[in-house]
Amino acid sequence: MEEKIAELQAAAVAEIKAAGDMTALNDIRVKYLGKKGEFTAILRGMGNLSAEERPKVGKIVNVAKAAVEEAINAQAGELKAKELSARLASEKIDVTLPGRNVPQGHLHPLTLTMQRIKDIFVHMGFSVEEGPEIERDYFNFEALNLPKDHPARDMQDSFYITDEILMRSQTSPVQARTMQANEPNKPIRMIAPGRVYRRDEYDATHSPMFTQVEGLVIDKGISFADLKGTLELFLHQIFNENVGVRFRPSFFPFTEPSAEVDISCVMCHGEGCKVCKGTGWLEILGAGMVHPHVLEMSGYDPKVVSGFAFGLGVERIAMLSYGIDDLRLFYDNDVRFLQQF
Amino acid sequence: MQVSIKWLNDYIKFNETAEELADKYTMSGVPVENVIRADEGLEKVVTGRIEKLEAHPDSDHLQICQMNVGESELVQIITGAQNVAEGQIVPVAMVGAHLPNGLHIKKGKLRGLPSNGMLCSAEELKMDLTKLTDEEKDGIYILPADTPVGVPAKDVLGLDDVVLEFELTANRADCFSVVGLVREAAVLTGNEPHYPEITVKEDDEAKAADMIKIGIDSDLCDRFAARVIKNVKVGPSPEWMQQRLEGAGIRAINNVVDVTNFVMVELGQPMHAYDYDEIAGHSLTARLAKEGENLHTLDDSSRIAKGTELVIADAEKPAGLAGVMGGLESEVTEKTTTIVLEAASFNGASIRRTSRACGLHSEASGRFERGVDVTAIPRALDRACQLMQEMGACTVTQGMVDVYPTQKEQTEIHYTAEQINARLGTQLSAAKMMEILTSLGFSVQTEGEGFVAQVPSWRGDCTCMEDLSEEISRIYGFDNIAPTLPWGAVMQGKQSPRQDFIDKIKEVLVGLGMTEELSFSFTNTDLLDKMLVPADSKLRQAVPIMNPLTDDYPLVRTSLLTSIMENAVRNFSRKNMDLRLFDVAPVFFPKALPVTEQPDEVVKLVGLMTGRRNMVGWNQTNDMIDFYDMKGLVEELLASLSISKYTVEAGEHFALHPGKTALFKKGREVIATLGELHPQAAENFGIKQKVYLFEMDVEVLMKYTAKNFHFDSLPKFPATSRDLAIVVDKDTEASKIEQVITKNGGKHFKSVTLFDVYTGEHVAEGKKSLAFNLQFQSKDKTLTDEEADTAFHNILKAVEKQFGAELRA
Repeated sequence: MEEKIAELQAAAVAEIKAAGDMTALNDIRVKYLGKKGEFTAILRGMGNLSAEERPKVGKIVNVAKAAVEEAINAQAGELKAKELSARLASEKIDVTLPGRNVPQGHLHPLTLTMQRIKDIFVHMGFSVEEGPEIERDYFNFEALNLPKDHPARDMQDSFYITDEILMRSQTSPVQARTMQANEPNKPIRMIAPGRVYRRDEYDATHSPMFTQVEGLVIDKGISFADLKGTLELFLHQIFNENVGVRFRPSFFPFTEPSAEVDISCVMCHGEGCKVCKGTGWLEILGAGMVHPHVLEMSGYDPKVVSGFAFGLGVERIAMLSYGIDDLRLFYDNDVRFLQQF
Repeated sequence: MQVSIKWLNDYIKFNETAEELADKYTMSGVPVENVIRADEGLEKVVTGRIEKLEAHPDSDHLQICQMNVGESELVQIITGAQNVAEGQIVPVAMVGAHLPNGLHIKKGKLRGLPSNGMLCSAEELKMDLTKLTDEEKDGIYILPADTPVGVPAKDVLGLDDVVLEFELTANRADCFSVVGLVREAAVLTGNEPHYPEITVKEDDEAKAADMIKIGIDSDLCDRFAARVIKNVKVGPSPEWMQQRLEGAGIRAINNVVDVTNFVMVELGQPMHAYDYDEIAGHSLTARLAKEGENLHTLDDSSRIAKGTELVIADAEKPAGLAGVMGGLESEVTEKTTTIVLEAASFNGASIRRTSRACGLHSEASGRFERGVDVTAIPRALDRACQLMQEMGACTVTQGMVDVYPTQKEQTEIHYTAEQINARLGTQLSAAKMMEILTSLGFSVQTEGEGFVAQVPSWRGDCTCMEDLSEEISRIYGFDNIAPTLPWGAVMQGKQSPRQDFIDKIKEVLVGLGMTEELSFSFTNTDLLDKMLVPADSKLRQAVPIMNPLTDDYPLVRTSLLTSIMENAVRNFSRKNMDLRLFDVAPVFFPKALPVTEQPDEVVKLVGLMTGRRNMVGWNQTNDMIDFYDMKGLVEELLASLSISKYTVEAGEHFALHPGKTALFKKGREVIATLGELHPQAAENFGIKQKVYLFEMDVEVLMKYTAKNFHFDSLPKFPATSRDLAIVVDKDTEASKIEQVITKNGGKHFKSVTLFDVYTGEHVAEGKKSLAFNLQFQSKDKTLTDEEADTAFHNILKAVEKQFGAELRA
């Protein structure tokens, strides 16, 4: 009897090990351990045994059943693991295929540059002022110490609407407007960003419309040294800490003294290249101490307060920041250009 | 203004190179734009004698030259030139030379024989070919036989001069002269200048005052003076003078013209020479032209006077446009024997107007516009006579005729050292300031606590303390002023709410996949036509520009739609077919036409979508953007701007498809218009694909944006959901049904979402099926089925009643 049980167990274990999938394994379970299975049959046939042998054989059968059960579970575990790895293998994808992209929006590079400029000045306590783009000759020129027929008007050929109204050629008129809207001599720290218009042919460095930021600081005791410090700080932030800054005497009718401000060439770092025409310097903005006539004309007293003003071209700063060599790219609005920013 | 170093050296010597001097000028406010070297590239070009010339054994056109270039051994050079002969002296480019035309001279072999240099032609040396004979231009440039051998070729070719090209600012009239630039150079280099000594011998007995009458009949002329020279021999001017003029960019013509030009550049005073015998009545008057008078100028063109031009007239007619251009009749010719030399000072603004109106800009008009030194006029006349006399080309009559009605007053500026230091942020001593001003020609005296500076006659631009601060700072050096930061009351840095709002709009649209464009504020009628703008539309009333750059864009835009369409078309032409663009910018509406006051500026927002909905990709569908993509975008934008509770209805817009135009409204006010570009407009622009546009007014949006944002607390009890599928007439607007649902949903109604629209099988002709999901929710409890059912039935009853809707089986 014992031998028969051992043979049965060995046969079952051999079949279990040979089972290739869960169905086969289940069939084996039924065949040996089911209600009509082989081991059940042995237990049922125990009636023929003596009372002494019965518990002994019963025990042997149960041990054998447990061993078969264990073998089934072990095989089941193995089969599951195999199945899983087969499934994972079959589910493999080409992860190098491109992802499903979503159309991205982009701000215009001039807006991005303008935001950086505004941020720097707003953090220094400047307010952002605006004015009309179609402006009176008075605010655009006369209130800035540029009477009619002044030769310096040649510096800016303007689009006129009437003899007295023009498309502003600079954002400087916002200076005069802000001063005139204020209590006399009230301190000012402002920038005026915006579009301006000049009768320039459209080419790689000129455009009939471009973007400017005008700045004005007025208070008691403002000096040319303050102008230098403020603009150096700005230029170091917008470019980098190491950029060289140079102030050259110049002439603007609305400031005295006046300066052109240069930075060391960002392309060649001052060595001299095509961009800086070999000089190592790039003209970046114009500035100066506000002319007493300008203060007087807008109700400020030059004996009480003084101030400085500056103006910079946003296109120029954007071109230097991004290495753009043709200004027309800004206004062509080719999406292949716009989507790079 | 340009001037050669040689001319400067006539009056001042300095050790600085041209580049160093240029830098000093630039850094003191007299900007040098370019340093032009005629000897550029001629560093290794020397003179050499052809000692021996042989034919090349392996060539029928090459020759072997043995050149003496002043070294111990001869140098062998192979040349292809045919105009060379033994004994000639020619320019030789030695090995290592880098010629102006970019040619690099290296050791080489020609047909097997070594060649160690190159013989040069005039062109290769960048000589002025217009001054050479054809013989000199062709082949190798043969130097005179007495030319020394082995010296730099630039020295013997007159290519050793350096020209400084200035880009002077409008205030520095004084620097439009060699003398003015020498004065600056003296201050900048610390060297002593030696100005020309001006003396004139009146060696003719005739008296100028007897010969010519001078008059001023206009307040646009401050001073008018003349001298008369006789026995004039018109001919070429001496070589040195031609060279100086050439360096200044002025062509030599004849001794008379050259002298007037020379004096103009040297002293800054423009002059004019008249043929005395051609002056009617022997009188010259500065007066306004009479309207209709003929102005016949040197360039042989005639203009009809408007009456605003200042002219110099003889007894009969204008003899020249004052300060701009002389007249043709009284031009000095070879036959001229007696000359009236005129020097004057005219009103700068008037000269500027005339020269612009006539399109005539000259060296003279430029100087008059900036203002000449009125006190220096007699010196200029004397200088011109002196130069003519030194050439032996005339006799000078007695005296000068000078009309100078109002003596120019000496300008005085009062200042204190404290004022100047406060303005500059410096601590300069009063003595240092005085030293700088004195060096510039000011005379400074103490006056109580402060000082008074007498402004030199040539510095008409200096009128106030601030001007002195500039003079002091530019000579002291801007670089020497230590930077500081302004201090004072802390000020709040901020933008206006509108600027913040515009930034927000841009940020939201970028987040929604839209790209910002920037376009010019100009437009034209053709664009308005293409956009189907009706004839009576306000958009047709655009502000015209008096002087547009080209006739293509003569108007200031009234709509951004034309601009964004232009950009779309440009992109299409470059095969960029998938576009999502927006633009925020002002448009301009005149208060009346013709314009008398500033127009209204209205900030608009437009958007454009066209092309594929998804990115191109193996896993993306190729669906095209449709009306509802654009509408969804507008809805998202409005939601992000906290604008809610608007209505949407079908509407009309001239540029949009009449069946695909939606108006977003708050009450009666339109806050957004969107739709498909009208097929006719698309055809006009040559567009084949569907384009969707929206337009909004930023001020209007701002009006409806919620000022304060409060969050909604999250619900504690679950919502109950019911689906309502109804069949209605096809034309029924879904938004109207949604309004009725919302209105009749009861107190627990939460939201309605249209999730299906169906026509076709099982739905009768002329009908459509709409399926809405309805959500009901209470803040206080979980709703019972009965409560939800009641609300649902109320809604159903309402839509049945109002739209004849039938519950879909």
